[in-house]
Amino acid sequence: MRLLTHSKSGWRYQLSRVEAQALRSLMKLFPTTAHVAVRITQTDTDPKAAEREKLLNESLAEHREELRRKALHLMSGDRLRLQHDRYVLGIGLEDREILLQILNDIRVESWRALGQPDDLDPPANLSQDEQVHHNRMSLAGYFECNFLNLEEGREAAAED
Amino acid sequence: MPSIAEPHTVPTPTIENATRSDDALAPTYYVVCWNDPVNFMDYVTHVFMKVFGWPRQKAVKHMREVHEQGKSVLVREGAEKAEFYVHQLQGYKLQATMEPAE
Repeated sequence: MRLLTHSKSGWRYQLSRVEAQALRSLMKLFPTTAHVAVRITQTDTDPKAAEREKLLNESLAEHREELRRKALHLMSGDRLRLQHDRYVLGIGLEDREILLQILNDIRVESWRALGQPDDLDPPANLSQDEQVHHNRMSLAGYFECNFLNLEEGREAAAED
Repeated sequence: MPSIAEPHTVPTPTIENATRSDDALAPTYYVVCWNDPVNFMDYVTHVFMKVFGWPRQKAVKHMREVHEQGKSVLVREGAEKAEFYVHQLQGYKLQATMEPAE
């Protein structure tokens, strides 16, 4: 995977057939787990905090549903096209944020499904389900790193 | 999960009694981002830049605090704005909370 061009209007990445297929699969799978409630505070005992937490979780569930609707559009023919023996993914700023959020959601939720281990290396005795979660976490991380580093490395270099 | 220590990154504002407004008396909250082993450092930096509009240098400073100290106090705001930021950060899957400042 590599960055072909970057302008104000968007990014064009080149992906191998295997990468394109894997990215499509991840987008189709999203969301890979049900929404897990999160806490809005660790110390606030005010009754308002419970209401805020409820709103936060409702908002996050809606946000995920919106991401789900957009996930498949990101892999549509006008964005991901086969050119010769490679795929070219052309995305704008908003698309890129959505893509990053979806990939990170898959990564974090797979990690949670694995029991939130401190060590992300796979232990030898993973069950079949755990292996699936581990593979998704790693694959989402692969794309996330590439989408981030291919761009942000340039920005950081430009600022130095 | 680590306990909350006294934040040291945000100075306590000095407010003249005579000029206190209702806003100044309203409770304020620290927006705190907590460390986890799964979010990439580059991703956390990217999210801070997006959500707060910070330059890379400031975003990296807070990302490093999260990574090295277990948490970083990102901003101090009124309830509504603190809640907004927590929604944004949690939408990106960062572990963020709002904690009473006083």
